[in-house]
Amino acid sequence: MSARWRYIIQESAKGLRRNPLMTIAVILSITVSLTLLGATLLLRDQIDLATDDWVDQVEVSIFLCDGQSCPEITEQQLDDLRSDLEAQPAVDEVHYESKEEAYERFQELFRDQENLLDIVEPDILPASFRVSLHNPDEFLIINEQFEEYPGVEDIVDQREILTQFLNFTRVVRNGAFAVAVIQLAAAALLIGNTILMSAFARREQTAIMRLVGASNWYIRLPFLMEAVITGIVGALVSWGLLYGVVPRVTDGLSREVLLMPFIGEAHVIAAGPPLLLAGFGIAAGSSIVALWFFKDS
Amino acid sequence: MIKLENVTKTYKRGGDDEVIALNDVTLEVAKGEFVFVVGPSGSGKSTFMRLLTREQVPDTGSIHVAGKDLTTLRSWKIPSLRREIGYVFQDFKLLPNKSVSENIAFALEVIGKNRREIQRRVPEVLELVGLEAKANALPHELSGGQQQRVSIARAFVNSPRILLCDEPTGNLDPSTSVGIMKLLDRINRTGATVVMATHDQHIVDSMRRRVIELENGFVVRDQSRGVYGYAG
Repeated sequence: MSARWRYIIQESAKGLRRNPLMTIAVILSITVSLTLLGATLLLRDQIDLATDDWVDQVEVSIFLCDGQSCPEITEQQLDDLRSDLEAQPAVDEVHYESKEEAYERFQELFRDQENLLDIVEPDILPASFRVSLHNPDEFLIINEQFEEYPGVEDIVDQREILTQFLNFTRVVRNGAFAVAVIQLAAAALLIGNTILMSAFARREQTAIMRLVGASNWYIRLPFLMEAVITGIVGALVSWGLLYGVVPRVTDGLSREVLLMPFIGEAHVIAAGPPLLLAGFGIAAGSSIVALWFFKDS
Repeated sequence: MIKLENVTKTYKRGGDDEVIALNDVTLEVAKGEFVFVVGPSGSGKSTFMRLLTREQVPDTGSIHVAGKDLTTLRSWKIPSLRREIGYVFQDFKLLPNKSVSENIAFALEVIGKNRREIQRRVPEVLELVGLEAKANALPHELSGGQQQRVSIARAFVNSPRILLCDEPTGNLDPSTSVGIMKLLDRINRTGATVVMATHDQHIVDSMRRRVIELENGFVVRDQSRGVYGYAG
């Protein structure tokens, strides 16, 4: 390692050790803000996953009897039901999904959740008509008309449930994002202030460096480095927190809510690089601004 | 080596109140000269020194130092200007937690000199200032005169073409000051241009070098082989 880099690393380590409580405060503040930012990213992933894989396909599901809780639907009843559905003006499209297709789709949707796949046998999932409507609000018409048909087990407006869930998720995501932005601003100010204090504590040294002709970046790099280290450590801690918590939560939810797929470990891992970039960016940006003021003092 | 043409520098002091630190100053210092800048406090000596290192820029007029036009010098080129100038302070400004040789080496490290050159140059300059035996001492273990020698060694270690000394004997007793002046004289004889701001009448009178006297921002006297005040 060249003498230059050794100097820069030594000086930044000195800055971090000079006031350990302050260093911890900065790292904590970055951790909190980036954890919120990470939660925002993961909620977006969750919404995308549910929307792409599920909501656009699911409208109204008419589950058909398969002999487990009611007598299995006959060929005749199936044909009658299909033609009546197609004749109903509120209906846009009708799609029949066999038990095999239902199982295939289930496997595809929940590919990240192996324990769930293990407990569901191909036989459990019923065949269904999946019906899309011109206007989702017309669900009640469908429900009333087909509820009592022979061979129909249940009619579920899955869109309604999912829309409510997704709206709730969006509100949470937007809230988390707003708080993350405020926290990030606070973290940026804290970093800037800390770097200014660090630079002020060593102003004699930097004044000498300036007069003997050290270049500006050489004078400032240790301070910049000091901030960037705290930023990256904070990002790593928040990544670790999300990695420890989020997969457990979604795993638990996926056992309770069978309606849709949930994000898993892979999504949390993928959120790491953006978090590291954000930690680096916020630290570098705020210390560059702070040092720009320091130059003139 | 140093050339000022019609340089004026004023400071704002709240509202419309202005202090004129230098007023239409024109002067030239040739390569290898030894110049005293004298005058009472507030006469503009400090401003003059700060203009030469580009810590400040003049309101009007032009300044050339070591072949560079300071009025058009880009800020990222200031470091290369300062590498041509050694600066000696009244209060030494040594880093208290570094030894004598570390303080001197620091000036080379931070401008990116390699270790071999640092290891060659530091003992050379310590010998020049007569402090080989104190290489590993800390500044507080030294006398004022010795600390000023270290400060001069640090200023000269990069072989600058110009040495600016701001009251270098201001904190020293007369006999110690004589030693410092002998050292500055020796450095001047190696070819470096020396500009020294001072109040020390005895030193100016004994050296018999060029004297530039400032008063209220004007050059009131510029005399080769001069003395501190008008003779008589």
